[in-house]
Amino acid sequence: MLEPDAHDLSDDADYAASVQQGPVSITRNDSLGRSSLNDPEGAEVVYTKDNVAIHPTQFASERISGRLKLIKQGNALSMTWLPYKGQSSNARLSEKDKNLYTIRAVQFSDIRSIRRHTPTLGWQYIIVVMSSGLAFPPLYFYNGGVREFLATIKQHVVLVRSADDANVFLVNDFENPLQRTLSSLELPRALTPMCESPTTPDPDKGELDKSSNIFQNGRRQKHHEARDISIQVLEKFSLVTRFARETTSQLFGDSQYDSYPSNDGWKNSALSPAPKRITSLDNSPQVRDEVPVAADPVEIEKLSLVWGKPRQAPLGQEEWATFLDAEGRVMDSKSLKKRIFYGGIEHNLRKEVWRFLLGYYSYESTFAEREYLISVKQLEYDTIKKQWQSISPEQAKRFTKFRERKGLIDKDVVRTDRSLSFYDGDDNPNVYLMRDILLTYSFYNFDLGYCQGMSDLLSPILYVMRDESESFWCFVQLMERLGPNFNRDQSGMHSQLFALSKLVEVLDSPLHNYFKQNDCLNYFFCFRWLLIQFKRQFEYDKTMCIWEVLWTHHLSEHLHLYVCVAILKRYRRKIIGEQMDFDTLLKFINELSGQIDLDSTLREAEALCICAGENGAACIPPGTPPSLPLEDDSSAYPQLDDEIL
Amino acid sequence: MSYAYLFKYIIIGDTGVGKSCLLLQFTDKRFQPVHDLTIGVEFGARMITIENKPIKLQIWDTAGQESFRSITRSYYRGAAGALLVYDITRRETFNHLVSWLEDARQHANPNMTIMLVGNKCDLAHRRAVSTEEGEQFAKEHGLIFMEASAKTAQNVEEAFIKTASTIYKKIQDGVFDVSNESYGIKVGYGGIPGPSGGRDGSSSQVGGCCS
Ligand SMILES: Nc1nc2c(ncn2[C@@H]2O[C@H](COP(=O)(O)OP(=O)(O)OP(=O)(O)O)[C@@H](O)[C@H]2O)c(=O)[nH]1
Ligand SMILES: [Mg+2]
Repeated sequence: MLEPDAHDLSDDADYAASVQQGPVSITRNDSLGRSSLNDPEGAEVVYTKDNVAIHPTQFASERISGRLKLIKQGNALSMTWLPYKGQSSNARLSEKDKNLYTIRAVQFSDIRSIRRHTPTLGWQYIIVVMSSGLAFPPLYFYNGGVREFLATIKQHVVLVRSADDANVFLVNDFENPLQRTLSSLELPRALTPMCESPTTPDPDKGELDKSSNIFQNGRRQKHHEARDISIQVLEKFSLVTRFARETTSQLFGDSQYDSYPSNDGWKNSALSPAPKRITSLDNSPQVRDEVPVAADPVEIEKLSLVWGKPRQAPLGQEEWATFLDAEGRVMDSKSLKKRIFYGGIEHNLRKEVWRFLLGYYSYESTFAEREYLISVKQLEYDTIKKQWQSISPEQAKRFTKFRERKGLIDKDVVRTDRSLSFYDGDDNPNVYLMRDILLTYSFYNFDLGYCQGMSDLLSPILYVMRDESESFWCFVQLMERLGPNFNRDQSGMHSQLFALSKLVEVLDSPLHNYFKQNDCLNYFFCFRWLLIQFKRQFEYDKTMCIWEVLWTHHLSEHLHLYVCVAILKRYRRKIIGEQMDFDTLLKFINELSGQIDLDSTLREAEALCICAGENGAACIPPGTPPSLPLEDDSSAYPQLDDEIL
Repeated sequence: MSYAYLFKYIIIGDTGVGKSCLLLQFTDKRFQPVHDLTIGVEFGARMITIENKPIKLQIWDTAGQESFRSITRSYYRGAAGALLVYDITRRETFNHLVSWLEDARQHANPNMTIMLVGNKCDLAHRRAVSTEEGEQFAKEHGLIFMEASAKTAQNVEEAFIKTASTIYKKIQDGVFDVSNESYGIKVGYGGIPGPSGGRDGSSSQVGGCCS
């Protein structure tokens, strides 16, 4: 079916690259059969693709998924995209929205071009530009398949790759250069908004677009479906297109814009002023629409959004009360977690809410049950604590492991956050509390014992809880998730570093390749981020905020890995541009401490997580911390016997 | 700042022996008992002069905890010098030296200059390892040796500089191909290549790492 010919699409480097993206598979949707589904009028469905979505807002989470089809009827090829019924990812998207975006039988004779985006980061998408110059919103192929889509079109209509931009496919374009020239004379360049640009956009492109435009004018008589769509809708489409493009280019464009040393037209186009009005029915060519064009500065201001949702104010006391029923049960833990994900928690409320997030309190518990739990757990804590407290000096003499463990903890608690007033000064009782909790934990979980980094994890918990037993049990819960970070054999860390490298491979393959070439694929430069959950990366209060966000497990249990990717991506230009080697990179990343804005990082991480979708999840092997270890693990904490402290 | 050479150093040894304190004493000339334990690695840098040549030391202070070793080892790569530190008040930190040496020999370049530092010598009353033992160990393993105190700054400066001048001498003797950065040495802009420095890669291989 895909016989190669002069314009075989498989000559395409990015296709090869996209195939190599491991888990990103381009699935052929053959299940529906190309000729089996004939509708009553003899139309034949020649292509079907599920999970093709549009994003009506800048929020990646708000998408409308649907099915894209190519339908052949006689000699005419048309395209439809119908949203799935009642399957909105978001309640805010009404059926009305869906109708608005539905594409009902657009004839290819009315399509001028299709621009294909196969970004290194995120989903592939296409933008269909009508002869009128209007564009449909980007159609995102969640399951891949852009190439197949184009290949199918090519079997039925003349589809040529633009000579100027390998990602633009002209529909029914005429290849006669003379005609092209003629047409460009007919439509003076002054008509195109791009001509307002002081920088010279490559001239050929405008001409090409116009030519296709002209030649399709003649055919437009036949099919008016596209025009039947109301002007309003078209306007909305067009705005959406631009909006999506700009948000997309902010997020994804980075990989093209930044990519080193690639220097195709992206850079220029991104710098040239955008058309003042994109929405137009004046036949002016708009193929430029899809290029990430940074609008004039005012517009940039307005649109300078990344894809993640704007962060909200932290959850406060009053709002918290609304999540509880009369007995104190959390009625909707899911929306609570989501709320915290987007805003964090006010500090004075952390003591209460962290206990839920960490799983120490169950969401279904009542006030009374929690009170009871606290007292029971206090007793239990005291019992475990007594186990080491009752070790006499004589016994300790013969208990090397205990002495070593205690010695190490003693040394470390005085080297943990001592610059905070909560822990500073000589004989600070909080430092002793920390020691007691860690030592008790090392008895509670003797196999895991104590390992450096644990005091960093305990410090904010104690700071928030201000109670020994409660801190202990919250710490226990945290270690249920992060304990494997401290495995002697570092297996927990290695699995996260491995997943991280896979994620970067999917989300930013040029950066991945750079690391590969420079022997940085072990990702050891991210070791500290992962081990103590960015504790030393952000200021203390920001650390508490990122922790509660991560603990919600909203979107992913492994958002922390996407946070790593987000930070790396943020500095990719510097990393690659300065050709950092492993040593330089490690030093650079160490020195980023306290330099990174948390909110935007979280938004980017969110966006990356959504973009990566299942492909991202597939990068992360089951059991990777903080996921609970796999059931069949014989021991949760594989340790080398003689090294346990 | 311009330098003739840049040397990469690593500081290794058990947790709590005072590696970070030694670094801080060397770079900032202060002793700060309340700093954070090291996770992964920290960096420090300072300029020194040897035979009137400005030399920049870029120092990697690694985490001492055993379980981090599989990762900290990767930081040894391309170090020109190492400070191997133990705590004279804790015998076990001295006993572990062998395994640290093994690690260093395996993962660092064979020409790396190693300085053995017996730290906390201000705590003479709690001494658990005698100076002679330290000397003996150094001799057996071909290390330079010094006892020092990050607290009083005794011998701290000396330990770092002695290591640097040993490396410098090795450069003069043509032991390194300084154009090969895997030796942990970079020739700086302000640098006049030493007698061996002008040589190209192929000729300097003679005195190279073929040990
Ligand atoms: N009396 C005395 N105490 C010291 C000296 N050097 C370090 N210390 C103390 O020893 C403790 C550990 O010092 P660090 O420099 O943090 O130890 P480290 O070797 O960096 O340990 P890790 O980072 O865990 O590998 C600190 O609390 C210091 O106060 C010294 O020369 N004399
Ligand atoms: Mg240290």
